[in-house]
Amino acid sequence: MVAERISSRGFRNLDDFELDLPPTGAVFLGPNAHGKTSILESLYYPVLYRSFRNAPDTELSAWNGPGFRLTLDSVVGGESHRTSVGFDRETRRKRVVVDGVEVGRITDAVGKWLAVVFLPADLALLQGGAAERRRFLDRMLSLSDPAYLRALLRYRAVIAQRNAALRAGDAEVVRVFTDAMVEPGSYVVARRLQWVAAWSDRYSSESDGLGEGQRVSLAYLGNPDLAEPGGWSARVAEVERREFRRGATLIGPQRDDLQIAQNGRSLREFGSTGQQRAAAIVLKVCELLTLAEAHGRTPAFLLDDVFAELDRSRQERLTARLTGPGMGQVFLTAPRRDELPPAIDLEVFRVQDGRAYPAGATV
Amino acid sequence: MGVLDDLVTEFARLPGIGRKTAQRLTYHLLQQPSERTRALSAALTGVADRVRPCSTCGDFTETDPCETCKDPRRDDGLVCVVEESSAVSVLDRAGFRGRYVVLGGHLSPLDGVGPDALRVGLLEDRLREGTVREVVLATNPSLEGEATATFVQQRIAGSGVRVSRLARGLPMGGDLEFIDGVTLTHALSARQDVS
Repeated sequence: MVAERISSRGFRNLDDFELDLPPTGAVFLGPNAHGKTSILESLYYPVLYRSFRNAPDTELSAWNGPGFRLTLDSVVGGESHRTSVGFDRETRRKRVVVDGVEVGRITDAVGKWLAVVFLPADLALLQGGAAERRRFLDRMLSLSDPAYLRALLRYRAVIAQRNAALRAGDAEVVRVFTDAMVEPGSYVVARRLQWVAAWSDRYSSESDGLGEGQRVSLAYLGNPDLAEPGGWSARVAEVERREFRRGATLIGPQRDDLQIAQNGRSLREFGSTGQQRAAAIVLKVCELLTLAEAHGRTPAFLLDDVFAELDRSRQERLTARLTGPGMGQVFLTAPRRDELPPAIDLEVFRVQDGRAYPAGATV
Repeated sequence: MGVLDDLVTEFARLPGIGRKTAQRLTYHLLQQPSERTRALSAALTGVADRVRPCSTCGDFTETDPCETCKDPRRDDGLVCVVEESSAVSVLDRAGFRGRYVVLGGHLSPLDGVGPDALRVGLLEDRLREGTVREVVLATNPSLEGEATATFVQQRIAGSGVRVSRLARGLPMGGDLEFIDGVTLTHALSARQDVS
C-alpha cells in the first residue's frame, strides 16, 4: 500500500498542509518543532484514528483552532482510496469518511490503511516496564486479527468489572465475571504465544541482519496453561484469596510480558543503549512484516529520527534493510542531512514552520 | 436560582440531555399555552405518585398486581427475565405470551450495582409456586447483560426448571456484508441444521 497524498488543516503545527508523496517514500529534514514528527503523525493517524503519541484529539488540533481535518489518498492493491477524518473541538465529535461513505463505528475503518511507526520514545519497548511490550503485542495483533481486538476489549471490560466485584468482596458476582473472562482471556494469551513462537527465529535473523549478532530470542513470560479455556479454573483457585485481599485480578494476559534476550540474558537488564535501540527497531520490523502477512500488503514504515545515536555501521545496515525484502514505502525524519547515511535514496523535503518544501527549493 | 434554572437543571439530569437541550426544552415550554405545561406537570406528578413496580413481576404499573400479571390467558409455565420494563412491551409485540420478571437493571460492580439491586427474589418466589416449566433469560447482549444472565442462571440452578437464553444472530432483512463481526461469529457458532 502506498500513500499518494496527505493533506491536513488545523492539525498540530502543520500549516494548511498538502503534499504529494513519492511511491518509495521520503525524508523530512528540518529543525525540531517545525513539524517533521507531525507529518509522520498525520500519516499514522488513519491507522487507528488516534495519535501515535497517545495525545487526545483536542491536543492534535492547532492551538485555539476549531478542530482538524486530515485526508489521506492511498493506493491499495491497485485501487485508489480516500480516507478523511474531521474532528470538531467543540462537540468532540470525530467523523471518518472512507471513499465517500461515513463509517458508523471507527473500528470498522481500522485496517484499511496500515503503517508502522518507530519513535525515539520506543526505546521504552526495551527499557520500560512490561506494559510497554504488552501494548506493542496488543496493537500489532489487533491490527492483524479483528477477533484479537474484540477479545482484548471484552477481556479488559470483564477485568474492570471483576476487579470492582473483588473490591466489593462479593464472591457470587466475582464468579460470574470469572466465567466471562476465560474465553476472551484465553484467546488473547493463545494468539500472543503463537506470535512469539512463530517470530522468535525471524526476530533473531532480522537482528543478525542489523549486525546485532545471533542467538537473540523472544520469549513470552506468562502461564501457557491460560491459552486454553480449561486451564483457568485451577489457576483462579490458587490466587482467588489473594485477589480478594488485593482487589485485583492476579492472573491473565494483563500480567504477562515479552522478553527479548541475547545468549539467554535479558536485553532490558544487560543490553547497552545501542543494542536496546536496535532491538526496538527489530521489533518494529517484525511488526511491519506481521501486518504485511496478515493483510497481504505492506504497510508504510514511519521512522522518526531513527539514525540518531546509531553508529555508522548500524546506520548502514539499517539503510540496507529499509530497502530490503518485504519493505514498502518508507518515511524518515532527521534534523540535518549529514545525520543521514549517504546510501539513503529517497526524495528529500525540508520542513520549516509547518510546511514541506522540495529540498532544492529556497524557503 | 429561580424556577427557570431549576427546570433547566432537572431536564439536564435526564439521560441524553445536555445543558443546551435542557435550555431549549425549557424555552419551548414557556412559549406554549400554559395549560399544556400544566398537563405535563400533572402527568409527571401522576407518574411520581401512582406508578410503582409490580410486586409480582417488577414491571412499572399503576395497579398491583399489574395488568400483565392479572391476565389469565398468559402461560404461567413460561417466565421471561428482562433487565428493564421497556423490554416487556417489545417481547409482547414479538408474540411472547408468558409471564415476566423485570430485574430493574443489570449487574455492574463498577457502578456499584450488585445482586441486592436486582429483583431476582421475584423469580425465586415464582419458582417456589411450582408452576414454572421454563425460564427464558432475555437480558441485553452486552457484557453486563450476559453476566446478569449467568448470575440468574447460577441462582436458580438447583430448581430443576429448564433455563433458556435468547438466540444471538442475524437480524432479519440484513445483508451479511454489513453485519458486525461479533454477531456473525455468534451466528456461525450457533448455526442450525436445516436437514
